Amino acid sequence: MNVKMSVVVRTVADIMVVPIVVFGIYLILHGHLTPGGGFQGGAVVASSTALLIVAHGAMKDNKTDLSNMESTGLTLFFLLAMVGLIMGFSLFYNSLAGTGGIFGGTVSGINPGYINTGGTIPLMNIVVGMEVIAALSLILWMMAKRSGSLEVEK
Amino acid sequence: MNWFNFFPLIMVVTLVIMGLYVVLFKKNLIKMIMGIAIIQNGANLFLVSLAYREGYVAPIWTSAPATDMVLPTPHALTLTSIVIGVATTALMLSFVIMLKKHYGSINSDDARRCRE
Amino acid sequence: MNVDLLLQSPVFILGIPLLFAFLTPLADKVSKELRNAVFIIGLLLTALFVSLMAYEVYTIGSWTYVFGAEDPTAITDVSFFRITFLADGFAVLATLTIIITAVGVGIYSFGNMKDFDDLGKFYTLFLLTLAGVMGMVLTSDLFNLFVWFEVTSIASCGLIAYHNERGESVEAALKYMIISVIAGLLLLFSIGFFYGEYGVLNYFLIRDSMDGAFIDILAIGLVMVILSMKASSVPMHMWAPDAYSEAPDSITPFIAITSLGSLFVLFRLIFFVFRGAVEPSSIGNLLIILGVLSMFVGVSMALKQSDVKRLIAYLSVSQIGYMMMAVGVGFATLGTADYGAFGVNAVEGGFFHMINDGVYKALLFLSVGGIIYAADTRDLNRLGGLAHSMPFTTFFFIIGGLSIAGIPPLSGFSSKLLIYKSVYLYNPVLAIIALVVSIVTLALIGKIFFNAFLGPDQKIGMKIPRSMILSMGVLTVIIVIFSLFPNYVVSEIIAPAIEALGVAV
Repeated sequence: MNVKMSVVVRTVADIMVVPIVVFGIYLILHGHLTPGGGFQGGAVVASSTALLIVAHGAMKDNKTDLSNMESTGLTLFFLLAMVGLIMGFSLFYNSLAGTGGIFGGTVSGINPGYINTGGTIPLMNIVVGMEVIAALSLILWMMAKRSGSLEVEK
Repeated sequence: MNWFNFFPLIMVVTLVIMGLYVVLFKKNLIKMIMGIAIIQNGANLFLVSLAYREGYVAPIWTSAPATDMVLPTPHALTLTSIVIGVATTALMLSFVIMLKKHYGSINSDDARRCRE
Repeated sequence: MNVDLLLQSPVFILGIPLLFAFLTPLADKVSKELRNAVFIIGLLLTALFVSLMAYEVYTIGSWTYVFGAEDPTAITDVSFFRITFLADGFAVLATLTIIITAVGVGIYSFGNMKDFDDLGKFYTLFLLTLAGVMGMVLTSDLFNLFVWFEVTSIASCGLIAYHNERGESVEAALKYMIISVIAGLLLLFSIGFFYGEYGVLNYFLIRDSMDGAFIDILAIGLVMVILSMKASSVPMHMWAPDAYSEAPDSITPFIAITSLGSLFVLFRLIFFVFRGAVEPSSIGNLLIILGVLSMFVGVSMALKQSDVKRLIAYLSVSQIGYMMMAVGVGFATLGTADYGAFGVNAVEGGFFHMINDGVYKALLFLSVGGIIYAADTRDLNRLGGLAHSMPFTTFFFIIGGLSIAGIPPLSGFSSKLLIYKSVYLYNPVLAIIALVVSIVTLALIGKIFFNAFLGPDQKIGMKIPRSMILSMGVLTVIIVIFSLFPNYVVSEIIAPAIEALGVAV
């Protein structure tokens, strides 16, 4: 079954993937400041997968990588939540906030949006983004394959 | 009392009734899943409209005006519901794909082998 | 500052299954042995933390665990706007019921599922379901309840459809999924009602601010319908026989445990949160009606089944009826002198029956799984003569069967006796119905026993794996313990649970 779209669509899709991925990563990284975050940004990035699947009708078999990425993201998320617990606070306690290091800046009240703040929250956004990108891509990939609209390259 | 204040709630009721109609009376499994998605959107709209307070701004501290902010609990709830909706819809659609493979049909009348 | 590890135990009960669920697929990439080890370590660690929480609750009393706070046990002004877990006697009862079955089923699935590949996903879904049910019974926040409700639905549907090479499994899973997604949305609506009315979602704050307005009654009604649907009570039981009979043999009791978990949540909500805002007799009578319907319809539908797993699925629906009826009687008498006279005994009987039911239903489903494993058929008319080749499974089936039918001296009898005695004082008709249902249950167990185990030896060469025998043995030992010391169980486990709900006499 030839499921490839025309050359115009494929070229435009290839070009559009770049801004989509960049915007997704922007959403993930600014999750602690503005609406957005791991899930939303991840979904945006995964939509580029959908675009590529629709345009090219083919994708490399990277199921193993995606599922590894998914499990790693979730495990890291939980370990980040455990950081506070290990330090003697409760689960999900934001123990990195205000400590100085990466994402450890202090901020209070209305501010212009310092990205170097938030403690564990941006880190959690990043790992959640990782998980969501992998999981949604995997779902799209599996569905496209099962419904027969995808050629799988080994 | 302005009738416009009730507009979101009227839309919620409309969406839920539409969705329930589709789920109950349509035989096509994909249409049933679409009906569930419509109910889901009704629920999300309901939660979002609950959170609305006149004159309050969204709780985003970045360059915010110095006025009161709404409590973001319903927004968080809506977001959770959207995320869960993605997962459930994907799972149900996968089930339908598998069912089509086994039974050769996506009509709910044909999916009755479990009954004795 | 350092917080006692014991006080952190509720979060570990939830967190360990979650963490190990995510680790299992990674371990699966390395080797099968590592994956199995990770899975069983996760289960046993969860069991360890359940017992630690039980120890702590029984020695120092109950506490509220606040997520994301500096001190998880200190209650401040903002505590109830965070996610909170409630570790009290009732949570101990619920988590204990769940973990006993989960460990039994986990050990069993090593042997039962060993011929299938790609088990990494299976164990992941198993642990996710466990985390979901644990979260449902531990949480004290409606928002959080919704999340765990949906996690349980999604993961258990994945488990039901695990044999997706069979169309029937997928069909059962899709039916269950559609019903539970709509239920989840209705739960979301009722949460919206509570939020719109009071602006809070925590059990404590809702309990303190509820005033019994119309919108409250609507929301309470929705919550009750949703949770009794999840608990597979008639008339919302239609998903249960399909799901129970089409799920993998080792998983069926675990799906049943998610039903029990929802029932625990329902009882927690009506006793702990809604009690002050409603007329006790209205909710109580509703529960009694649902319970009687479940008992009666469940057992009469079971009569005509020839599929052995479907038969036990309908029996399990009828057992749910006992609990709802008993607790309904207790709730209906709240606030009157009758409550002290027999109502509290009805609640005791209902709760005791829940923990009993979790164990003996698991044993029954697992021994039937053994039958299906050996004979490779589920049709009662084609089974026969299995007692010759499977003496252990026969013994386990007899223990489980006599317990579900309420035959003395087994544990099912102790809880049913409490139910009969107290319900008789409320309304003799209810006790008579309960007794009749018990007798029919015994007849049905006899039918399975005669059809499957007695008769000429059919020379089945298939040996069932040792881990399956082991898990059934563990569950049997627990039933025997419950049978030998029913008074001790009631006074040490059930009574604190009732006290935690605030309805002790």
